[in-house]
Amino acid sequence: MTTSGQTLDQHGPTEQEVLSEITTMLAALLDEYGLDDAEVTMESRFTGDLELESIDLVTLAGQLQERWGDRINFAEFIAGMELDEIIDLTVGRLVDYVVDRLRTAGRS
Amino acid sequence: MAFLDLDGLTVHVQRLGPQDGGPPAATAVLLHGLLTDSLASFYFTLAPALSAAGVEVLMYDQRGHGRSGRPATGYRLEQFVDDLEALLDRLELTGPVHLLGNSFGGTVAFGLAARRPEQVVSILAVESEPASPAWAAKLDGLLRRAERELPQDATLAWVTEQHGAHTARLARSASRLLSGTTLARDIPASLLPAEAELRAIRCPVLAVYGTESDLAEQSDWLDELLPGCRSTFVAGQEHSVLIEAPDVVRELALFWLEEHGADLRDPTARLEGSVG
Repeated sequence: MTTSGQTLDQHGPTEQEVLSEITTMLAALLDEYGLDDAEVTMESRFTGDLELESIDLVTLAGQLQERWGDRINFAEFIAGMELDEIIDLTVGRLVDYVVDRLRTAGRS
Repeated sequence: MAFLDLDGLTVHVQRLGPQDGGPPAATAVLLHGLLTDSLASFYFTLAPALSAAGVEVLMYDQRGHGRSGRPATGYRLEQFVDDLEALLDRLELTGPVHLLGNSFGGTVAFGLAARRPEQVVSILAVESEPASPAWAAKLDGLLRRAERELPQDATLAWVTEQHGAHTARLARSASRLLSGTTLARDIPASLLPAEAELRAIRCPVLAVYGTESDLAEQSDWLDELLPGCRSTFVAGQEHSVLIEAPDVVRELALFWLEEHGADLRDPTARLEGSVG
Protein backbone atom coordinates (compact mmCIF):
# COMPACT_ATOMS: atom_id res chain seq x y z
CA MET A 1 0.00 0.00 0.00
CA THR A 2 3.00 2.28 0.42
CA THR A 3 3.46 2.73 -3.31
CA SER A 4 -0.20 3.35 -4.08
CA GLY A 5 -0.49 5.58 -0.99
CA GLN A 6 2.25 7.73 -2.43
CA THR A 7 0.43 7.88 -5.73
CA LEU A 8 -2.74 8.94 -3.97
CA ASP A 9 -0.94 11.74 -2.16
CA GLN A 10 0.30 13.11 -5.44
CA HIS A 11 -2.78 12.74 -7.57
CA GLY A 12 -5.62 12.33 -5.12
CA PRO A 13 -8.31 9.66 -5.35
CA THR A 14 -9.93 8.88 -8.69
CA GLU A 15 -13.45 9.83 -9.70
CA GLN A 16 -14.52 6.24 -9.15
CA GLU A 17 -13.08 6.17 -5.63
CA VAL A 18 -14.76 9.44 -4.63
CA LEU A 19 -18.07 8.36 -6.20
CA SER A 20 -17.87 5.16 -4.19
CA GLU A 21 -17.33 7.03 -0.91
CA ILE A 22 -20.06 9.58 -1.60
CA THR A 23 -22.39 6.73 -2.61
CA THR A 24 -21.84 5.19 0.82
CA MET A 25 -22.70 8.51 2.50
CA LEU A 26 -25.82 8.90 0.36
CA ALA A 27 -26.85 5.29 0.98
CA ALA A 28 -26.94 5.98 4.73
CA LEU A 29 -29.23 8.99 4.12
CA LEU A 30 -31.44 7.08 1.69
CA ASP A 31 -31.65 4.14 4.05
CA GLU A 32 -33.47 6.35 6.56
CA TYR A 33 -36.18 6.86 3.95
CA GLY A 34 -36.33 3.14 3.16
CA LEU A 35 -34.82 3.76 -0.27
CA ASP A 36 -31.81 1.50 0.22
CA ASP A 37 -32.05 0.03 -3.27
CA ALA A 38 -31.69 3.38 -5.07
CA GLU A 39 -28.81 3.34 -7.54
CA VAL A 40 -26.37 6.25 -7.29
CA THR A 41 -24.54 7.28 -10.45
CA MET A 42 -22.69 10.37 -11.61
CA GLU A 43 -25.91 11.46 -13.34
CA SER A 44 -28.20 11.04 -10.29
CA ARG A 45 -29.82 14.30 -9.20
CA PHE A 46 -30.05 14.90 -5.45
CA THR A 47 -33.77 15.60 -5.46
CA GLY A 48 -35.03 14.55 -8.91
CA ASP A 49 -33.57 11.03 -8.71
CA LEU A 50 -32.50 10.38 -5.11
CA GLU A 51 -35.42 12.29 -3.53
CA LEU A 52 -33.17 13.95 -0.98
CA GLU A 53 -34.31 16.99 0.98
CA SER A 54 -32.30 20.13 1.55
CA ILE A 55 -31.62 19.08 5.15
CA ASP A 56 -30.00 15.88 3.80
CA LEU A 57 -27.50 18.03 1.92
CA VAL A 58 -26.62 19.78 5.19
CA THR A 59 -25.85 16.34 6.62
CA LEU A 60 -23.89 15.39 3.51
CA ALA A 61 -21.83 18.61 3.83
CA GLY A 62 -20.92 17.56 7.39
CA GLN A 63 -19.92 14.08 6.24
CA LEU A 64 -17.70 15.47 3.48
CA GLN A 65 -15.98 17.69 6.03
CA GLU A 66 -15.55 14.75 8.40
CA ARG A 67 -14.04 12.59 5.68
CA TRP A 68 -11.75 15.07 3.93
CA GLY A 69 -11.44 17.95 6.39
CA ASP A 70 -11.03 21.57 5.38
CA ARG A 71 -9.86 20.61 1.89
CA ILE A 72 -13.54 20.19 1.03
CA ASN A 73 -15.57 23.32 1.55
CA PHE A 74 -19.24 22.75 0.77
CA ALA A 75 -19.95 26.48 1.11
CA GLU A 76 -17.38 27.14 -1.62
CA PHE A 77 -18.87 24.39 -3.77
CA ILE A 78 -22.35 25.94 -3.65
CA ALA A 79 -21.22 29.59 -3.78
CA GLY A 80 -23.19 31.49 -6.38
CA MET A 81 -26.01 28.94 -6.44
CA GLU A 82 -29.46 29.32 -4.96
CA LEU A 83 -31.25 26.52 -3.13
CA ASP A 84 -33.24 25.32 -6.14
CA GLU A 85 -30.04 24.91 -8.17
CA ILE A 86 -28.21 23.19 -5.32
CA ILE A 87 -30.84 20.53 -4.77
CA ASP A 88 -31.01 19.92 -8.53
CA LEU A 89 -27.26 19.22 -8.84
CA THR A 90 -26.00 15.84 -10.00
CA VAL A 91 -23.85 13.64 -7.79
CA GLY A 92 -21.24 13.94 -10.56
CA ARG A 93 -20.87 17.70 -10.01
CA LEU A 94 -20.03 17.08 -6.37
CA VAL A 95 -17.69 14.19 -7.21
CA ASP A 96 -15.85 16.37 -9.74
CA TYR A 97 -15.46 19.14 -7.17
CA VAL A 98 -14.10 16.76 -4.53
CA VAL A 99 -11.67 15.09 -6.98
CA ASP A 100 -10.47 18.49 -8.15
CA ARG A 101 -10.01 19.88 -4.64
CA LEU A 102 -8.16 16.79 -3.39
CA ARG A 103 -5.90 16.85 -6.41
CA THR A 104 -5.08 20.55 -5.88
CA ALA A 105 -4.64 20.07 -2.14
CA GLY A 106 -2.39 17.05 -2.84
CA ARG A 107 -0.05 19.19 -4.93
CA SER A 108 0.31 21.97 -2.40
CA MET B 1 -22.67 20.01 13.20
CA ALA B 2 -23.78 18.87 16.58
CA PHE B 3 -26.61 17.08 18.26
CA LEU B 4 -27.50 18.36 21.71
CA ASP B 5 -29.76 16.69 24.22
CA LEU B 6 -32.09 19.31 25.66
CA ASP B 7 -34.04 17.66 28.44
CA GLY B 8 -34.60 14.50 26.39
CA LEU B 9 -35.07 16.22 23.03
CA THR B 10 -32.28 15.73 20.47
CA VAL B 11 -31.64 19.05 18.77
CA HIS B 12 -29.65 19.35 15.54
CA VAL B 13 -27.50 22.48 15.72
CA GLN B 14 -25.29 24.13 13.11
CA ARG B 15 -23.00 26.98 14.13
CA LEU B 16 -21.12 29.12 11.67
CA GLY B 17 -18.51 31.50 13.03
CA PRO B 18 -17.20 34.60 11.30
CA GLN B 19 -15.62 33.39 8.05
CA ASP B 20 -12.38 35.30 8.67
CA GLY B 21 -11.97 33.74 12.11
CA GLY B 22 -12.05 37.16 13.75
CA PRO B 23 -14.19 38.28 16.69
CA PRO B 24 -17.94 38.17 15.96
CA ALA B 25 -19.55 41.45 14.89
CA ALA B 26 -22.84 40.16 16.33
CA THR B 27 -24.64 36.93 17.15
CA ALA B 28 -27.64 35.94 15.07
CA VAL B 29 -30.03 33.08 15.77
CA LEU B 30 -31.93 31.85 12.71
CA LEU B 31 -35.37 30.34 13.35
CA HIS B 32 -37.12 28.33 10.66
CA GLY B 33 -40.83 27.82 10.08
CA LEU B 34 -43.32 24.95 10.48
CA LEU B 35 -43.83 21.72 8.53
CA THR B 36 -41.80 22.03 5.32
CA ASP B 37 -39.01 24.09 6.86
CA SER B 38 -35.68 23.24 8.51
CA LEU B 39 -32.38 24.94 9.19
CA ALA B 40 -31.43 24.06 5.59
CA SER B 41 -33.57 27.01 4.46
CA PHE B 42 -31.00 29.29 6.13
CA TYR B 43 -27.93 27.13 5.62
CA PHE B 44 -28.17 27.56 1.86
CA THR B 45 -29.43 31.18 1.79
CA LEU B 46 -28.66 33.61 4.58
CA ALA B 47 -26.06 31.90 6.77
CA PRO B 48 -23.02 32.04 4.43
CA ALA B 49 -23.51 35.79 3.83
CA LEU B 50 -23.85 36.51 7.55
CA SER B 51 -20.73 34.49 8.30
CA ALA B 52 -18.81 36.34 5.58
CA ALA B 53 -19.91 39.63 7.16
CA GLY B 54 -18.40 38.54 10.48
CA VAL B 55 -21.58 37.42 12.23
CA GLU B 56 -21.67 34.39 14.50
CA VAL B 57 -24.60 32.32 13.25
CA LEU B 58 -26.61 29.79 15.23
CA MET B 59 -29.08 27.58 13.38
CA TYR B 60 -31.05 24.64 14.72
CA ASP B 61 -33.87 22.34 13.65
CA GLN B 62 -36.96 23.03 15.72
CA ARG B 63 -38.62 20.06 17.46
CA GLY B 64 -40.16 17.60 15.03
CA HIS B 65 -38.33 19.15 12.07
CA GLY B 66 -35.18 18.42 10.06
CA ARG B 67 -32.78 16.19 11.97
CA SER B 68 -33.99 17.07 15.44
CA GLY B 69 -36.05 14.67 17.51
CA ARG B 70 -39.76 14.18 16.84
CA PRO B 71 -41.66 13.55 20.07
CA ALA B 72 -45.25 12.40 19.53
CA THR B 73 -46.61 15.30 21.59
CA GLY B 74 -45.49 18.69 22.88
CA TYR B 75 -45.81 21.20 20.03
CA ARG B 76 -47.34 24.24 21.69
CA LEU B 77 -45.59 27.52 20.89
CA GLU B 78 -44.28 27.92 24.43
CA GLN B 79 -42.47 24.59 24.09
CA PHE B 80 -40.65 25.84 20.98
CA VAL B 81 -39.68 28.99 22.93
CA ASP B 82 -38.54 26.77 25.84
CA ASP B 83 -36.24 24.97 23.38
CA LEU B 84 -34.70 28.24 22.22
CA GLU B 85 -34.11 29.38 25.80
CA ALA B 86 -32.60 26.02 26.75
CA LEU B 87 -30.37 26.06 23.68
CA LEU B 88 -29.03 29.57 24.38
CA ASP B 89 -28.33 28.58 27.97
CA ARG B 90 -26.66 25.32 26.99
CA LEU B 91 -24.39 27.09 24.49
CA GLU B 92 -23.73 29.81 27.07
CA LEU B 93 -24.96 32.46 24.67
CA THR B 94 -25.97 34.86 27.41
CA GLY B 95 -25.08 38.07 25.56
CA PRO B 96 -27.24 40.06 23.17
CA VAL B 97 -28.65 38.19 20.16
CA HIS B 98 -30.41 39.22 16.98
CA LEU B 99 -33.26 36.90 16.04
CA LEU B 100 -34.09 36.24 12.40
CA GLY B 101 -37.25 34.21 11.99
CA ASN B 102 -39.02 32.82 8.95
CA SER B 103 -42.81 32.48 9.32
CA PHE B 104 -43.43 30.49 12.55
CA GLY B 105 -39.74 31.05 13.41
CA GLY B 106 -40.59 34.74 13.80
CA THR B 107 -43.46 33.81 16.12
CA VAL B 108 -40.91 31.96 18.28
CA ALA B 109 -38.65 35.04 18.12
CA PHE B 110 -41.44 37.30 19.45
CA GLY B 111 -42.03 34.70 22.16
CA LEU B 112 -38.41 34.91 23.30
CA ALA B 113 -38.37 38.72 23.12
CA ALA B 114 -41.36 38.80 25.47
CA ARG B 115 -39.55 36.50 27.93
CA ARG B 116 -36.03 37.92 27.65
CA PRO B 117 -36.31 41.57 26.62
CA GLU B 118 -32.79 42.26 27.86
CA GLN B 119 -31.21 39.67 25.57
CA VAL B 120 -33.01 40.23 22.27
CA VAL B 121 -31.41 43.18 20.45
CA SER B 122 -33.58 43.04 17.35
CA ILE B 123 -35.97 40.85 15.39
CA LEU B 124 -36.13 40.42 11.66
CA ALA B 125 -39.36 38.59 10.95
CA VAL B 126 -39.94 37.29 7.43
CA GLU B 127 -43.62 36.65 6.69
CA SER B 128 -44.39 36.27 10.34
CA GLU B 129 -46.46 37.50 13.24
CA PRO B 130 -46.57 37.21 17.02
CA ALA B 131 -49.01 34.73 18.52
CA SER B 132 -52.54 36.05 19.06
CA PRO B 133 -56.08 34.62 19.03
CA ALA B 134 -56.31 35.46 15.32
CA TRP B 135 -52.98 33.70 14.68
CA ALA B 136 -54.14 30.59 16.57
CA ALA B 137 -57.40 30.45 14.62
CA LYS B 138 -55.62 30.89 11.29
CA LEU B 139 -53.01 28.23 12.09
CA ASP B 140 -55.79 25.85 13.17
CA GLY B 141 -57.38 26.22 9.75
CA LEU B 142 -54.10 25.91 7.85
CA LEU B 143 -52.95 22.87 9.79
CA ARG B 144 -56.30 21.09 9.45
CA ARG B 145 -56.22 21.72 5.73
CA ALA B 146 -52.62 20.48 5.48
CA GLU B 147 -53.51 17.36 7.45
CA ARG B 148 -56.41 16.64 5.12
CA GLU B 149 -54.80 17.52 1.79
CA LEU B 150 -51.10 16.66 2.05
CA PRO B 151 -51.65 12.87 2.07
CA GLN B 152 -53.56 13.09 -1.23
CA ASP B 153 -51.79 12.24 -4.47
CA ALA B 154 -53.59 15.06 -6.25
CA THR B 155 -52.16 17.59 -3.80
CA LEU B 156 -48.63 16.31 -4.25
CA ALA B 157 -49.02 16.32 -8.02
CA TRP B 158 -50.18 19.93 -7.85
CA VAL B 159 -47.27 20.91 -5.58
CA THR B 160 -44.81 19.20 -7.93
CA GLU B 161 -46.25 21.03 -10.91
CA GLN B 162 -46.37 24.43 -9.20
CA HIS B 163 -43.29 24.34 -7.00
CA GLY B 164 -41.12 21.44 -8.19
CA ALA B 165 -40.01 18.02 -6.96
CA HIS B 166 -38.12 19.29 -3.93
CA THR B 167 -41.09 21.16 -2.47
CA ALA B 168 -43.22 18.07 -3.08
CA ARG B 169 -40.61 16.06 -1.19
CA LEU B 170 -40.82 18.52 1.71
CA ALA B 171 -44.62 18.30 1.57
CA ARG B 172 -44.44 14.52 2.01
CA SER B 173 -42.22 14.99 5.07
CA ALA B 174 -44.64 17.56 6.43
CA SER B 175 -47.45 15.07 6.02
CA ARG B 176 -45.51 12.52 8.09
CA LEU B 177 -44.88 15.13 10.79
CA LEU B 178 -48.61 15.90 10.95
CA SER B 179 -49.73 12.26 11.01
CA GLY B 180 -47.08 11.19 13.53
CA THR B 181 -47.50 13.94 16.10
CA THR B 182 -50.07 16.16 17.81
CA LEU B 183 -48.57 19.30 16.22
CA ALA B 184 -51.76 20.27 14.38
CA ARG B 185 -53.75 20.13 17.64
CA ASP B 186 -51.03 21.67 19.80
CA ILE B 187 -50.16 24.84 17.88
CA PRO B 188 -53.69 26.32 18.09
CA ALA B 189 -53.77 25.38 21.80
CA SER B 190 -50.62 27.41 22.53
CA LEU B 191 -50.50 29.83 25.45
CA LEU B 192 -51.28 33.16 23.83
CA PRO B 193 -49.60 36.32 25.08
CA ALA B 194 -51.86 39.14 26.26
CA GLU B 195 -51.74 42.21 24.04
CA ALA B 196 -49.96 44.09 26.84
CA GLU B 197 -47.17 41.50 26.76
CA LEU B 198 -46.70 42.04 23.03
CA ARG B 199 -46.75 45.82 23.42
CA ALA B 200 -43.95 45.38 25.94
CA ILE B 201 -41.64 44.10 23.17
CA ARG B 202 -39.61 47.28 22.69
CA CYS B 203 -36.72 46.01 20.55
CA PRO B 204 -36.45 47.10 16.93
CA VAL B 205 -38.43 44.83 14.59
CA LEU B 206 -38.23 44.64 10.82
CA ALA B 207 -41.25 42.84 9.40
CA VAL B 208 -40.70 41.61 5.84
CA TYR B 209 -43.69 40.66 3.69
CA GLY B 210 -44.26 39.51 0.14
CA THR B 211 -46.59 41.98 -1.57
CA GLU B 212 -48.71 39.05 -2.78
CA SER B 213 -48.97 37.41 0.64
CA ASP B 214 -52.17 37.44 2.73
CA LEU B 215 -50.01 38.34 5.71
CA ALA B 216 -49.03 41.73 4.25
CA GLU B 217 -52.44 43.05 5.32
CA GLN B 218 -51.43 42.83 8.97
CA SER B 219 -48.48 45.24 8.62
CA ASP B 220 -50.39 48.31 9.88
CA TRP B 221 -51.64 46.36 12.89
CA LEU B 222 -48.16 45.10 13.80
CA ASP B 223 -46.49 48.49 13.23
CA GLU B 224 -49.03 50.01 15.62
CA LEU B 225 -48.78 47.22 18.18
CA LEU B 226 -44.98 47.12 18.48
CA PRO B 227 -43.35 50.50 19.10
CA GLY B 228 -40.08 49.49 17.41
CA CYS B 229 -41.61 47.87 14.33
CA ARG B 230 -41.41 48.90 10.71
CA SER B 231 -42.43 46.97 7.64
CA THR B 232 -40.90 46.37 4.25
CA PHE B 233 -42.39 44.62 1.23
CA VAL B 234 -40.79 42.41 -1.39
CA ALA B 235 -42.46 42.91 -4.74
CA GLY B 236 -44.16 39.98 -6.42
CA GLN B 237 -43.52 37.52 -3.62
CA GLU B 238 -45.98 35.37 -1.71
CA HIS B 239 -45.21 33.58 1.58
CA SER B 240 -41.91 31.93 0.56
CA VAL B 241 -39.89 35.15 0.45
CA LEU B 242 -36.79 33.60 2.03
CA ILE B 243 -36.56 30.78 -0.50
CA GLU B 244 -37.82 32.66 -3.55
CA ALA B 245 -35.94 35.95 -3.00
CA PRO B 246 -32.88 35.04 -0.91
CA ASP B 247 -30.79 37.87 -2.38
CA VAL B 248 -33.29 40.46 -1.16
CA VAL B 249 -33.50 38.90 2.32
CA ARG B 250 -29.67 38.79 2.54
CA GLU B 251 -29.35 42.48 1.79
CA LEU B 252 -32.17 43.39 4.18
CA ALA B 253 -30.61 41.30 6.94
CA LEU B 254 -27.12 42.77 6.52
CA PHE B 255 -28.39 46.36 6.50
CA TRP B 256 -30.66 45.60 9.44
CA LEU B 257 -27.86 44.17 11.60
CA GLU B 258 -25.59 47.07 10.68
CA GLU B 259 -28.32 49.55 11.58
CA HIS B 260 -28.62 47.89 14.98
CA GLY B 261 -25.06 47.99 16.06
CA ALA B 262 -23.28 45.14 14.26
CA ASP B 263 -19.90 46.32 13.04
CA LEU B 264 -19.91 44.18 9.90
CA ARG B 265 -16.80 43.32 7.90
CA ASP B 266 -15.86 45.33 4.85
CA PRO B 267 -18.15 45.51 1.82
CA THR B 268 -15.91 43.13 -0.16
CA ALA B 269 -16.50 40.38 2.35
CA ARG B 270 -20.22 41.11 2.27
CA LEU B 271 -20.32 40.90 -1.49
CA GLU B 272 -18.45 37.59 -1.52
CA GLY B 273 -20.80 36.20 1.08
CA SER B 274 -23.90 37.35 -0.68
CA VAL B 275 -23.18 35.38 -3.83
CA GLY B 276 -23.33 32.15 -1.82
